[in-house]
Amino acid sequence: MMKLEPFKIRTEEQGSEYVMYLEGELDLAAVPQLQCALEHVLKRKDIALVLNLRNLTYIDSTGIGVIVSILKTRDGLRAPFYVQEIPAKVKRLFDLTGISGYIKEGAGA
Amino acid sequence: MKAVQLHIPAHADQIDLVRICLYGIASKLGFEYEDIEDMKVAVSEACSNAVLHGGHSGEGMIEVTFHHDDQALVIQVHNEGSPFVLEGAGLASTPLGGAAVSELQAGGLGIYLMEALMDKVEVFPTSEGTDVWLTKYRQ
Repeated sequence: MMKLEPFKIRTEEQGSEYVMYLEGELDLAAVPQLQCALEHVLKRKDIALVLNLRNLTYIDSTGIGVIVSILKTRDGLRAPFYVQEIPAKVKRLFDLTGISGYIKEGAGA
Repeated sequence: MKAVQLHIPAHADQIDLVRICLYGIASKLGFEYEDIEDMKVAVSEACSNAVLHGGHSGEGMIEVTFHHDDQALVIQVHNEGSPFVLEGAGLASTPLGGAAVSELQAGGLGIYLMEALMDKVEVFPTSEGTDVWLTKYRQ
């Protein structure tokens, strides 16, 4: 059965990495929560920003739009940004939209 | 075609209910896991559009009608807003690619995904708003 999995963010700062673990469903309703959590780290150049998507069960264009804006901001600052542990169904949407070509996978962990 | 209807307030935090309902109906009809995942994204895109461009201030409703027969599941998403343009979306909604990172545009991705994930996507202006019809054929 499909469960309702509310969107949650857990963060961990380890050395020079700031990892955001995204869990549950990232849709239009969850976007403000993610943007809010990003606010104080998005422009930090002293850390590598990492999104861990292991427990992300859903994403659509609204969530992909946030990742596009992270890519642009981090690229403009020449600040590192990585995405790790992308589930297959999320990867499929990254491939379809073409964002895969811009995402650096991995880092630390 | 048989039809099941769901009315939700045109608000972002209600869209998950449409996915739950779609999951139930599509599973019952015997759709494969991958097809159901594709339809979940497509129907959410249509609802997100309705919420964002619905032209109402939190008072409006979105009507989702799941039509089905032995050929297909057709999901009709109706809202009270003005229609978005699908023509030319072909160009405007080209997936990301080729551009420098600084030139990436997230706009149009939703429409692109609907078209990539469904067998057929149609947008009709109606007297009271906009209808989006999303079709997935049964195998």
